Amino acid sequence: MTRAIRSELLKIRTTNTWWLMGLGMVLFTGLALLINGLNAHFELQPQTIDDDAPAEIREEMIREENERYSEVHSAAGIAKIAANMYTSGQFFGVLFIMILGGLIVTNEYFHQTATATFLTIPHRTKVIVAKLFAAVVLGFGGWLLTTVINLATTAAVFNYEHISMSLDRWDVHRTILLNLAAFAVWAILGVALGTLIRSQIGTVVTGCVVYLIGLAAAEVVFGLVHAYLIKEDWVITAEVIVPSIASMIMVTPGEMYPHAAPQWVGAAVLIGYALVAGVIGTLITRRRDIS
Amino acid sequence: MIIFLLPRRTEGGWTYTSTVGVALHRDGRPNMSDGQIVVDGLVKHYRQVRAVDGLRFVVRSGKVTGFLGPNGAGKTTTLRMILNLVRPTAGMATIGGVRYPDLRDPIHTVGAVLEASSAHRGRTARNHLRVISTAAGLPASRADEVLELVGLAPAARRKFKGYSLGMRQRLGIATAMLGDPTTLILDEPANGLDPEGIRWMRNFLKGLAAEGKTVFVSSHLLSEMELLADEVIIIAAGRLVTQGPMEQIIKSSTAQTTVRVRTPQADTLTLSLKELGGSVTAGDTGALLVTGLEPPAVGAAALRAGVELHELVAEQPDLEQVFLQLTEGKAVIR
Ligand SMILES: Nc1ncnc2c1ncn2[C@@H]1O[C@H](COP(=O)(O)OP(=O)(O)O)[C@@H](O)[C@H]1O
Ligand SMILES: [Mg+2]
Repeated sequence: MTRAIRSELLKIRTTNTWWLMGLGMVLFTGLALLINGLNAHFELQPQTIDDDAPAEIREEMIREENERYSEVHSAAGIAKIAANMYTSGQFFGVLFIMILGGLIVTNEYFHQTATATFLTIPHRTKVIVAKLFAAVVLGFGGWLLTTVINLATTAAVFNYEHISMSLDRWDVHRTILLNLAAFAVWAILGVALGTLIRSQIGTVVTGCVVYLIGLAAAEVVFGLVHAYLIKEDWVITAEVIVPSIASMIMVTPGEMYPHAAPQWVGAAVLIGYALVAGVIGTLITRRRDIS
Repeated sequence: MIIFLLPRRTEGGWTYTSTVGVALHRDGRPNMSDGQIVVDGLVKHYRQVRAVDGLRFVVRSGKVTGFLGPNGAGKTTTLRMILNLVRPTAGMATIGGVRYPDLRDPIHTVGAVLEASSAHRGRTARNHLRVISTAAGLPASRADEVLELVGLAPAARRKFKGYSLGMRQRLGIATAMLGDPTTLILDEPANGLDPEGIRWMRNFLKGLAAEGKTVFVSSHLLSEMELLADEVIIIAAGRLVTQGPMEQIIKSSTAQTTVRVRTPQADTLTLSLKELGGSVTAGDTGALLVTGLEPPAVGAAALRAGVELHELVAEQPDLEQVFLQLTEGKAVIR
């Protein structure tokens, strides 16, 4: 098994795809850091209250602003900002990793290397398990890369803002670890998708559609169902069955939106998808004619 | 005698097929260690075609065996079934008595060069071989050795996309040789090779057979096979047509030996040859083509008739003719 995994990792290392994707990830992470950093900066500033406002409203506004300010500057408030900074670039990073996971499989058919691979390791389940491992390693790499960039940048930003990096807090650790989970699970989903679809373009397009458009489409569909058909809150909770929503629920501390499913349900749904798709994909691959 | 009852999944459910154990081949040789290929009732149905329809044959070691058939005969499908890449509808194949997926060290036992087998365009030849060596637990140095063996060492660090067809075929052979296997299976290896490449391939494969390896080569290029193969297996439309040693196949065919004679007294000779039961037709540039008589009989007839001979040549039917004759009517491209 270790041979199979080492071979899969060597396959990844000996082509350009991995570092092109890595470069893309770095760019998107930088962009996300810029936005998140600016957000943090303005959130941390005291807001000036309009002088022209009538006295009683003005008083109310000042009270609210003071409340907001002290909440943002509390240990928990700063931890929240820190956690957000540490997971910058997650949205596109995870997408890239899923595509890479898919390519690990579809490359074999696209470049007709499946023959050599299955001649060397005739037990196809072994090959797929090795690919899953390699994908998880890639996911870990993507997470490590973005997290290191995020930590370094956040250190500079927070030093400038004179606030704590909050690296001693469990809720911050948890968010960083859940980010890793997202990278790993989507890498696995990518491999599973590749085994199911086999076509290079088909896998990339399906992956992107599920990940990007699935999110918006699900919100519209579930919103309409809730508004006109079943006016119950569980409909909104059920949005978690959409993979990209499950992923966001999993990584968002607390309730992502009113009536959202708990975090662990998001994780369970994603793992469920990865398992089902992986098992079906493996069964198909075992029976498939390679020609 | 060992007879196995093998439960096998077919379209209609489970059936039991008796399979004669590997211990009893006609010549009674033990075949556990050598890499001979046994194809036992292989069948492959695709939706519309019976690509392979009950093939049964043995490929022996120490020889080059040619696997011949017109396009669409089912050669590629058969080779891929032997290698567990295509699932047979029925039947099975073993190499050295073991099914491919049950081989402990597949690429140490069998090396294969197949069509529709390639390398990643962006990967160098050396890295392509290292990927496979790693999966097989071979040292990376093995990649350099096989590149040297097929003469690709100078291009080892170039990307596959820049490789010519001939270089790709050589890389295919390098891949097959990684595990120094006892059995080699090649699907149309001469495709795309220039005459020099074909000569190189021929000598290479003959050398391997001389070392005692089993070499099984498919082709539709008959002229090439005639120079390469010791044995031939001919199929058409997924079925076995004939098999045996090359010369025997050519001799046993009903395609007759033609004797070409040239003489200034053509009429006299024609007359005496016809008396002996030969049939004579006029060939090009005044030669006579005689069938139904062996060359000595033609020579003797000329002596008796007192005719002067300028040429007497026996033309053996070549594999091409034999092949066309054997597969006639079955060779329609499917
Ligand atoms: N994957 C496939 N699906 C459907 N038909 C196929 C497939 N592969 C091969 N065939 C058909 O099976 C027959 C045998 O093909 P093949 O084994 O490639 O022949 P050969 O290698 O002798 O030219 C052909 O009629 C071909 O069209
Ligand atoms: Mg073919």
